[in-house]
Parts: sequence; C-alpha cells; structure tokens
Amino acid sequence: MKWFSVLIPLIILGGLPVLVQDPYIIHILILCLMFAALAQSWNLLVGFTGIFTFGHQAFFGIGAYFSAILAIRLGISPWLGLVIGGFAASLLGIVVGIPCLRLRAAPYIAIATLGLAEISRIVAQNLVNITRGEMGLSGIPEFPPLGPISFLEGRVPYYYLIFILFLLTTALAFWIAKSPLGLALASIRESQDAAESIGVNVPRVKIIIFTISSFLAGLIGGFYAHYILILTPSSVLGVPIMIELVAMVLIGGMGTLMGPIVGAFLVTLMTEYLRVVGEYRLLIYGAILVITMIYMPSGLITSPIIRRISLITGFLRRIVVGGMSSS
Amino acid sequence: MIYQLLEQIISGLISGASYALVGAGLSLIWGTLKMINFAHGEFYMLGGYALFLGGSVFGLHPALAALAAVLVVMVISCVTEKSLISSLLDKPGWDVSPFVITLGISIFLQNLALKVWGERFRNVPYFDSSIYEVLGVRISGQRLIILAVALIVIAVFMIFLKKTRMGWSLKATAQDREAATLVGIDIKSIYMWTFGLSGALAALAGAMLAPIYSVNPWMGIPLLIKGFVVCVLGGLGSLEGAILAGFALGIAENLGVMFWTSEWKDVISYSLFVIVLWVRPSGLFGEKEW
Repeated sequence: MKWFSVLIPLIILGGLPVLVQDPYIIHILILCLMFAALAQSWNLLVGFTGIFTFGHQAFFGIGAYFSAILAIRLGISPWLGLVIGGFAASLLGIVVGIPCLRLRAAPYIAIATLGLAEISRIVAQNLVNITRGEMGLSGIPEFPPLGPISFLEGRVPYYYLIFILFLLTTALAFWIAKSPLGLALASIRESQDAAESIGVNVPRVKIIIFTISSFLAGLIGGFYAHYILILTPSSVLGVPIMIELVAMVLIGGMGTLMGPIVGAFLVTLMTEYLRVVGEYRLLIYGAILVITMIYMPSGLITSPIIRRISLITGFLRRIVVGGMSSS
Repeated sequence: MIYQLLEQIISGLISGASYALVGAGLSLIWGTLKMINFAHGEFYMLGGYALFLGGSVFGLHPALAALAAVLVVMVISCVTEKSLISSLLDKPGWDVSPFVITLGISIFLQNLALKVWGERFRNVPYFDSSIYEVLGVRISGQRLIILAVALIVIAVFMIFLKKTRMGWSLKATAQDREAATLVGIDIKSIYMWTFGLSGALAALAGAMLAPIYSVNPWMGIPLLIKGFVVCVLGGLGSLEGAILAGFALGIAENLGVMFWTSEWKDVISYSLFVIVLWVRPSGLFGEKEW
C-alpha cells in the first residue's frame, strides 16, 4: 500500500492554499516546493550518480536570467522563456559535464563545478548593460494569464505552478530511479570501473544526467525569476544557494527520493522561522549541518529515529487499510 | 612597457605568495586526510582578526601579534580536527561528509565572527609603511614583508617535511596510511597536526594580508576559492605543485589585468583553471588523477 503514503501528502499539499489564506505562508510554501524541486534535481547528480557537484546555482541562475532577459528585451512569453532558460541551463550543463567526465574524486568535481559557477556569476556581474549587475534586474514580467487563470493577483496560481513543476521533477526522478538509466547511474555511483566493465557507457550516461539535472534547475530558475521579479547575480548565482541545497539534501538523505523533499521543507521552514533568533540564525544553521554530519551522516530519512517512527506508522496504516479492505 | 610588465610580475608574486600559503595548507590536508577543508578560509579570517586584536587591543608588536595569531589559530584548528573531523574518519560517506561538515564549520565561524566583532571592516596599520625601489619598481614595505615571510615560511616548512621525524611521519601517512600505522606512526595525532599546520599557514596569510585588505568576517571566501584553484592546478596533494601554482596564478592574474579590466581578473583565473582541468585533469604538477 505504498500509494497511501504518497497520496496523502500530495492531497495535503494540493489543498493547502484552500485552507491557508495568509499570503506570507503561501510564499513560504512556494519556496519550500521550489527548493524541493531544485534539491531533487541536484540529487539526480549527487545522490543517484555520485557526482558531487558544487555549482548547481549556475544552472538555476542561468535559467532565471535567460528567461527574464528574453522576456524584457525581446518580449518573449515567460512560458516559452521558462523552457528556453531550461535549455540554456542544460547547454551549460553539458559544458560543465565534459570536464567532469574524467574527474573522479568528489572534491575535484566540487571545485571544478564551483569554478564554473563562479565564472557565470562574475560574468553576470560584469555584463552590466545586459544584466544590470548587482543593481538588480527589475521589470521582469509576470506569467501571462493561462486561460482563465491570471498570475497578476495573489500567489495561489504561482503555488500551483510550482506544485506542478515539483510533481514533474519528482515523477521524473522516480521514473529515472526505476528505469535502466537509473541502474546505470547507480552502477556508476558504486564503482565506475565496474560500471564500465559491464558495458555501461559511462561518459554518455553522465552527460545525459547532467543535461536532465541542469534542465530542471534552469526551469525552476525561470519560475523563480517570474515569481520574485528581481534578480541579482549574488542572489541567484551565488554560493549561498548551493550551500542551502547541500544542507537540504544531506539533512534529508542523499540518494533517496523523499530525502531532498523532506530536507527542503525542513531547511526552508527552519531558515524562515529561525528569523526570530535574528543574528544567531546562520550560526545555528552551521551548527545543525555539523551535528547532522556527525550523528546522522546518511540523513534524516534513513536515520534510526525515523525508521522507528515509520515502523509505527506502517503498523498503524496496516491496521487502518487492512480494516478497510476486510470490511 | 617593460617597466609595466615588471611591475605586474612583482605584484603578481606578492599576491601569489598568499595563494601559495593558502593552497599549500589545503593541499597538505588533501594529501594526508584525503578531504577538502571548506573552513580553511575561516582560519585565514581568524588569523586576520587575531592579528587585529593582538595589535590594537593588546598593543603587541606586529611580529609578535602575527606569531600569536598563528599559534592561536593552530590550536583552534587542532581542536576542530580532534573534536569534529576525527569522529567521521573512515565512516561511510567519507568522500562527501568532510566537505559538508567543514562547510558547516565555515558558516558557523563566519557568523560567530560577525556576532563577536560586528560587520565593520577593521583596518590594521601597515607593519612597514615606507616605500622601497626594487629594480626600478616602487613597492611598499608591507608587500615586501609578505613576500619575504611567505618565502621563508615555505622554505622552513619544506625543510621540516624533509628533515624532521615529524615531517617524515606526515609524508608517510600521506603516502600509505596502513603502512604508516604498521611502522608505528600514530596517524590520529598526525591528522591533528596536519590540520593544525594547515590552519597555521592560513592564519599566517591572513595576518600578513590584514593590513592590505581590511579584516572582516567574509574575507575568507574569495581566498578559499583561489586556494582550491591553486590546489587543483598544482595537482591535489602535491605541496610543491600548490606553491608553484600559487605564484603562477598570481602572476597570470596580474598580467591579465594589463589587457583586460580588473573586474575580469577572477574570470581569467577560473577559466585558466577550467582549461587546465580539461586538458590535464591531474593538474600541472600532479602525477595522479583523482
């Protein structure tokens, strides 16, 4: 009865904007879903394939800037811009992926991808006449109405848009995990040499996953641009986004489907509600990262505490579902 | 033109000296522990603050303050290794876990510094504010001191690695951990000292550069990324490589500024780095691909 544990959170997430009217809470939920999708796209590389990249912010930011600039300068519809931004990001993904084909050690790949991401940030900062640099690119249009749905009033349409993007990303990750591609990815993660020896085309598979992952990140970046309506290089192309992604995926559980989602919700809610403690916020954030690594190195999802809880809920579910089917 | 070239090369050597110090520390840790230290930039930052405090609060002589800064940070980084890193050693996920834990330490230390010392940029007076002429190029005394200290420390460090028992055991651990344990080297303490020495090198760079770039909680980040670049350019784990690459990168950046505006300086160095990775993934001086 696995559908049971998937369906209920989905119904809750889908129904939340009806229950909660507060625009602030809707905004936080939008961020949660956006980061969940973004973390899932990074998880494809780091968790599924074992390629520890540290430059995912570049794909997110390129997608955001492409979509925004195309809409402002050329009047291209944000709907189309979203997809073009995704393709631009996946082109960059291929460029980033190629040097990573020959590298194996996690730190090496992390540094190489960080270097490429920093290049894209500085380029965006310096091309002031196109991106307006750190002054911020403003005047980004909202999404044009889709049939009867207008994106001009309220945040609920945005909520459902990111909800759909989130579902697509998660479904894609689920499908990849079950497909032959997923097996190839897992074999690369466990041992590249062994993968090669059983006939996995390692470079090809790596490029494919880089393309998919960066496309998704670019798509989400495009959404962000037309939602937040202002972009600066340091906010969308800077290292802090990457740090959040690392925290989310690691705290949630790397390489699992639910891990990045749980992590994204936890970290986003935590950073939002830790605002109460003001200046200590990031201090606590750093400490949590350290503590997680020491006490739950494989993340919350697979930690003994959660397993015990899910044992109990599984037991309860069996009673409920069993009771329903027998009656 | 020649004069300009010479001027850029000399200032490249000086900024290269700081890259070399930071890169050498990172490379040392990679060599022995096979991990990347994301908090390295914060040891550099703490070095800067320790110098500032020693100089302007306790009124120490700059040389003494720098020495104190190095020692204090060395202790901090030994404690960090002993209390946090060593518990992760050889556990599953060792390829990623140190990266993340040091990322956490980095965020923590940055914000601790922000909390304790505020976000004001602290200025530290030059150790030597006179101007000297070398080969017809005018250089401030501070920059000459940086270059001289860096060269001396690097030389001493090399001798330490080559000639002392401690240095030997450090290199032995880097080469083969099991074999090192077999011949009776206490690798746990070697790990701690490696971390300490690496932190000391970063703190030294921080203390020397504090008068040129003012001290602030975020000063470590740009230098950390440069350190990474240097480390990979030189070939991960190769100490000599990191030092050479540090000076090379400093000179390349400064020569680049002659042809492009200085905003593009970092783009030049990162592009150089990506190209090197593309054609020679083991780095310029490394023998091994990781």
